[in-house]
Amino acid sequence: MLLAVSDLSVYVPIGILVLMAVGFAVANIALTLIIGPSREGAVKGQAYESGMNPLMSARKRFNVRFYILAMIFLLFDVEVIFLYPWAATFGQMSPQTPEGAVFLGRIMFFLFTTVVAFIYAYRKGVFRFD
Amino acid sequence: MLTSTHSSIARPCCIPRSHIPTPRAVLSGLGGSPAPLIGPPLPQNAHLAYDASPMNSQLFISIHIILIVIHVILITVAYLIYLERKISAYIQDRVGPNRVGPLGLLQPLADGIKFMIKEDYQPHGADKYLFSLAPIAIIIPALIGWAVIPWGGYWDFPGFTVPLVGWVLEPSRVLIAAANVNIGIIYLLAVASLGVYGVTLGGWASNNKYSFFGALRASAGMISYEIPLGLSLLAILLVAGTVHPQSIIESQVAGGWYIISQPIAALLFFVCILAEANRAPFDNAEAEQELVGGYHTEYSSMRFALFFMAEYSHMVTSSAFLIVLFFGGYHLPFIGLTHPAATGLLAVGAKFFVLYFKVLLVISFMMVIRWTVPRIRWDQVMKLAWNNLIPAGIALLIITSVWVYLGWTAWWQLLGMNALLTVLIIALMPLLPRSQTNRKAQLAGSRFSPLPGEQVSTAPTSSAARDDQAPAVPSRETVGA
Repeated sequence: MLLAVSDLSVYVPIGILVLMAVGFAVANIALTLIIGPSREGAVKGQAYESGMNPLMSARKRFNVRFYILAMIFLLFDVEVIFLYPWAATFGQMSPQTPEGAVFLGRIMFFLFTTVVAFIYAYRKGVFRFD
Repeated sequence: MLTSTHSSIARPCCIPRSHIPTPRAVLSGLGGSPAPLIGPPLPQNAHLAYDASPMNSQLFISIHIILIVIHVILITVAYLIYLERKISAYIQDRVGPNRVGPLGLLQPLADGIKFMIKEDYQPHGADKYLFSLAPIAIIIPALIGWAVIPWGGYWDFPGFTVPLVGWVLEPSRVLIAAANVNIGIIYLLAVASLGVYGVTLGGWASNNKYSFFGALRASAGMISYEIPLGLSLLAILLVAGTVHPQSIIESQVAGGWYIISQPIAALLFFVCILAEANRAPFDNAEAEQELVGGYHTEYSSMRFALFFMAEYSHMVTSSAFLIVLFFGGYHLPFIGLTHPAATGLLAVGAKFFVLYFKVLLVISFMMVIRWTVPRIRWDQVMKLAWNNLIPAGIALLIITSVWVYLGWTAWWQLLGMNALLTVLIIALMPLLPRSQTNRKAQLAGSRFSPLPGEQVSTAPTSSAARDDQAPAVPSRETVGA
């Protein structure tokens, strides 16, 4: 069924809500900038690291584990996104039809490839976190 | 009755609006009212003029829902902080805030004023723009996520002419939600994933090592728990066959709440929303003993308050989705007023309060969890997500899709499926490879864990301990004699 253009008006409230959220955040920060005090100081400007003088910048290299984790996350997230339209459509089909079997078989193969990738990552020790 | 209601109003946004028979139009077509014949003849394309109007009934109601519900949520968030302090106080045998106003009920107001008059300070090493952007980036997803929650179901809007502007709003059936989009659940997931940006930006921009570690942990945890969240949702969507929240509630009213038919999915979803909101026992991002305040260590005044409010409004949104997906939304069994078929104004009000009350119950439960369960170590949090929840979610998805293919979607068949899956998981658990990392290290050579073949004496070494231990055995003998 074609989506009428006027049906896009259901997204207008989301736009209004985003504007209200931005306005709320910016107004709050602006108010506290206006009302609150403002004093500078060399020691005051240091980062708070439990009372020690900060030794160096915090912008340093960090463990590569987080990068690998983000890549694995991307794999799974994209996979899950593909599954949503399938799940909503498959739930509406009448049970035990040949089309349903084809639908199920294809998505099972898709899931199988993901499970293989998951097992590979597991064997490589991505999820050890030691 | 139930199934016909479901099929006819399941997807209101896919039906062209001009084809929906409104109650008044049906009445005037049936009855003997001569009114339509007297007025001037309608132009041929009258329905096109309606579509070209900048306002329609659903949009008009949606804007009013936004204006009402955003205030309800902000006030709720303020009082949730009061509620959390009270609950923690009672759990720790204290009294909690009781100085400002009766029972301390004006405490949120005092907190707000205090946040407002504090200094908004930036450390010198911080990235100026990202530091300012982070609180805004975290509050926006928290405040727009609830847009697709159907607070009151459908309402038969009686029609209205907006004064001054002259927009004519036709009587029609509108959804009491901020946005009646038919992809509601996908919108929820899309918005919920945006929250990680504020956390990452806030930690990185502060140029503080504690903030940085907190942000790394928080972002890793949030993205990890998004996957089981999505998988548990898929188990529901397969049974419901729709991604429209209102239709999911209707299918629960027809076929039983999903907490009964999909308890494993409900458990996965609840654990994941705790982790997504950075709530205990998964609050490693702001573990006080290790990381000071985590990613918001360097934030003060209203910017810190925005981080705080984001956490609590995230709790409200995710609890509302837990209710909508698993606990029947606004529906209470055996009460006709909360049935989706009831579309009066009184029913809308009753449904709103039922949903709101259920949300408060879930949030109180989350708070009790926070103050009674100890925090889990970070590597255990990540292992729980990747080694336990995600395989369980995939198994649940596979078995649910097979059950849906076979047509076994009654609540008792799905409950049996969940029981079968639980038995399978318990049976397969000992066969899975066990991680040897982070095991308790053997103290080789100590007298409590001797090396193989080593003979050690475990008798107490100090004379005081020996004296304590000595009389125990003879005294028992004297009693026996």
